[in-house]
Amino acid sequence: MNTTSAFKSIEETTDSLGGQQYIANDEIATTVYLSQQLGKPLLTEGPAGVGKTELAKAVAGSLDRTLIRLQCYEGLDETKALYEWEYAKQLLYTQLLRDQLQQTLAGANSLAEAADRLTDEEDVFFSMRFLLQRPLLRAILSDEPVVLLIDEIDRADAEFEAFLLEVLSDFQVSVPELGTLAANHVPIVVLTSNNTRELSEALKRRCLYLFIDYPSLEQELSVVRLKVPDLAPQMARQAVELVQSLRQIDLRKHPSISETLDWAQALVTLNSENLDRKTLETTLSVLLKHETDLRKVQRQLGRMDGRDDDEDETDWDEELPRRRRID
Amino acid sequence: MEERIVKFISALRSGGVRVSLAESADAFSAVDNLGIQGRDAFRLSLRATLVKDAESLPTFEELFPLFFGSGEPPPLMNLMEDLTEEEANMLAQALQEFGQRLREMLERLLRGEELSQEELDALGQMVGLNHADDLRYREWMARRMQRALQFEQVRKAMQEIMELMAQMGMNKERLDQMRQLIAQNMDALREQLRQHAGQRIAENMAEQRPEDQLEGLMDRPFQALSDSDMQKLRQEVRRLAALLRSRIALRQKRAKTGHLDAKATIRANLKHGGVPFHIKHRDRTLKPKLVVICDISTSMRHCSELMLSLLYELQDQVSKSHAFAFIDHLEYITPDFQGNRANEAIQQVLIRMPPGYYSTDLGHSLQNFADDYLDTIDHRTTLIVVGDGRNNYNDPRLDIFRKMARRSRRTLWLNPEMPMLWGTGDSDMLDYLPLCDTILQVSTLSELAAAVDQLLVEKS
Repeated sequence: MNTTSAFKSIEETTDSLGGQQYIANDEIATTVYLSQQLGKPLLTEGPAGVGKTELAKAVAGSLDRTLIRLQCYEGLDETKALYEWEYAKQLLYTQLLRDQLQQTLAGANSLAEAADRLTDEEDVFFSMRFLLQRPLLRAILSDEPVVLLIDEIDRADAEFEAFLLEVLSDFQVSVPELGTLAANHVPIVVLTSNNTRELSEALKRRCLYLFIDYPSLEQELSVVRLKVPDLAPQMARQAVELVQSLRQIDLRKHPSISETLDWAQALVTLNSENLDRKTLETTLSVLLKHETDLRKVQRQLGRMDGRDDDEDETDWDEELPRRRRID
Repeated sequence: MEERIVKFISALRSGGVRVSLAESADAFSAVDNLGIQGRDAFRLSLRATLVKDAESLPTFEELFPLFFGSGEPPPLMNLMEDLTEEEANMLAQALQEFGQRLREMLERLLRGEELSQEELDALGQMVGLNHADDLRYREWMARRMQRALQFEQVRKAMQEIMELMAQMGMNKERLDQMRQLIAQNMDALREQLRQHAGQRIAENMAEQRPEDQLEGLMDRPFQALSDSDMQKLRQEVRRLAALLRSRIALRQKRAKTGHLDAKATIRANLKHGGVPFHIKHRDRTLKPKLVVICDISTSMRHCSELMLSLLYELQDQVSKSHAFAFIDHLEYITPDFQGNRANEAIQQVLIRMPPGYYSTDLGHSLQNFADDYLDTIDHRTTLIVVGDGRNNYNDPRLDIFRKMARRSRRTLWLNPEMPMLWGTGDSDMLDYLPLCDTILQVSTLSELAAAVDQLLVEKS
């Protein structure tokens, strides 16, 4: 495990990510390393389920840093992301401390003096004690360097994005009652986006950009081998080849790596020995999550059945894309 | 090197990639960090800092090797060296058969000489390479340069030489070997030309100011757009839709009425000891309802296609929208939009309703609407008509239109024609005019965007 909490070179980045069971290609390793060197947030984009979130976890794991995660959603605002005063607690304390307060104010000769005394005590109620820290503030105030994951930033509103700008460029936030709080350690920030909407230019400008695409056959195969070691090598290859060919077809949602892994796990659980049609038909729904996609692929399977019955069962998966084009 | 990177960045810009100053500064510090020894690391450090769009990645990958060389073109082989004296004589004899220019070229191929920079420049001058500033011209320019070098003739001449030498009694194996080497040399020369063309064009691109390519398109009338422009515009429409969407979201945030947001109110009033001076409201969603009637006859196709794609992109914002298209009769096209991708959906509609010849009939279409779909318009609906109001002298059915306009919250007409043409010929625009709340001339994308933006503002 790394003791200095930073990557020293690109090779080391690849290695230690690999140690977290994350297979990083050159592109990923270089960009992660750069983002750490330049102290810039890393914006990762790509289809759903290619391991964008996983990357942040792996970075946190390999640097032995805490991962602070902020999941974005529509309507997320700074009270959920940054901080909130614990007003209920504040009220409660005021109630409980009433006697104390009265004592403090007891000897006051004039209203002005009482107010002055009260002002002196005011800080008690607006201190860190009553500050409810949300992920962003936690990442900034943390005593140890952390990894901050801002997940699915494209789901948040545009105005939240604008609010993030201050945090991401200076790593400081201003709390009106407390002043400006600056980061002790600049965290490694990873933003992920599924590209459901265009992010603002200003945000993109502040980030390094990494596009993670579906992996190549060999890469995906090594991921499957790593994560589902129980699957027979021959089966694993067949399965990955099938998934890769499914991605060539025009589907509403292509199977992602995580779905490949789920499927591989399902095959292991079902004790399947070969990728025959029956196994496929029962497990295909693990890969394809849309009714129409499922039917489309099954139809193509069925057509294959009618046409060449004697064909080797493992052969057809290479056939899929070609047949699609004939359609 | 730095100069080269700056040039590269300006080429990227004119290739349509948005690169800000801050980003180019980042690129330099990234390069400082990783150095330029590792070619891959260098490429990635530029890419991560300069390109922030998946769509721009191909542009980057295409330009990068042109500026930072993907290595040399394949080396050319010298055949003359390992010929025996006898063979060399035969070759010299065979060469005698050809004219001066061809001979030079042939000898170059045999000796394996690259083209010098001056020669390349001269060639480029000849074929007008200096004016090319779009990578799409690359292959074409390379071919033109090959033609200027008489590649085709040279190839034929080479064959003849080989035959001649075979007749002279040259060893067959040796001949095959030579033929292969010559073919390789030709390929290498071809690659050299291709690279030169690419580099030259990329440099031209860098010098060219990133002229407001898209802005230009956005202000160009729809009729004047080529297919590739349309493609570009469609992408722009998508960006625009995202922009409008967030602008709408901002506007909705400022809602001053609606349900009380208790939590936010308490929070805002803490400083007053919990006495609610400032009331906070829950965000109100002011989603407009739309009924769009779109003319997709021949004269209107460009405009309607973009309008439909913009509507499609805004679907999640304008969830209660009903779209209709008409030429001679009305069709309900919202079902086509659902569950289909924008392009497919629009194509599907356009294929189902092929343009006729002088067949536009708005009156009849309005009749269809009144018969079947009048209930889609209520007091919250904005009615939009996209069309030029040219009706082939059919009955404009103003009575129905009046009824529709009265039922709706407001009526908006988008017309791509210039106002001075309204009412001329078969245009009934002037008759419809008094019945609409707003009439906008929309002949460019930016006008269309402004119109849609306006339409989503709540009428105050």
